[in-house]
Amino acid sequence: MTVETADLVLRALADPTRRTMLRLVRSQELAAGQIATHFSMTQQAVSQHLQVLNRAGLISERREGTRRLYQLQPDALGPVRELLDDLWPDALDRLKRVVEQDKRSRS
Amino acid sequence: MSDELVVTTTIDATPQEVFPYLVRPEQLLRWLGTWAEVDPRPGGVFAVDMGQTQVRGSYVTVEPPYRVVFTWGIAGNEHLPAGSSTVEIVLRPDGDGTVVELTHRDLPADRVADHRQGWTNRLGDLAAISRAGRS
Repeated sequence: MTVETADLVLRALADPTRRTMLRLVRSQELAAGQIATHFSMTQQAVSQHLQVLNRAGLISERREGTRRLYQLQPDALGPVRELLDDLWPDALDRLKRVVEQDKRSRS
Repeated sequence: MSDELVVTTTIDATPQEVFPYLVRPEQLLRWLGTWAEVDPRPGGVFAVDMGQTQVRGSYVTVEPPYRVVFTWGIAGNEHLPAGSSTVEIVLRPDGDGTVVELTHRDLPADRVADHRQGWTNRLGDLAAISRAGRS
């Protein structure tokens, strides 16, 4: 589990359009064309968003004839959860370092 | 993701020495955030920017030098709106040092029974919180 993986996931999640796409494919596999009907953007723009989600491992892609089918990949949240778990531990580590540093420089 | 998170650390300083770092902007910024505006009294504003992420809330309890409670949310985030969760920081003397216990409560939990539904509802929260933590 690398920071790069987590970054890919976070960047993919940062966009509200892509979060909506994830909700669409959470319980059923959908073709790119079906997903596109929910958005007022070009099919190409939809495909680009889907590729971002796919590269981040948030959705799986499967070809069936000329169609590309997408579905949510729940395991992808692992790296993000790790980052969340790190928020306060990292902050408190900084607090400890800063307080002790300041105290030493005063004495 | 559980709806409560507890983190502790021990600092080699007294609670009196640690407390200002929880309530004074210039000291707060040494360990949390890139910009801060705080008014440490009940109802007073607690606003900290972490890069692009704007954490917004207000102080609930301020008991120098042992305890601070403030609300915590992210401006513009529908799943974790400003002031929607609560952070409590307790400072307990321990010999020459201080045990710091931080509890983050009321984090968004599953809103619906359907696990997959809950999972996707939380995606936005996780992204926002994680970004906040890294800047």
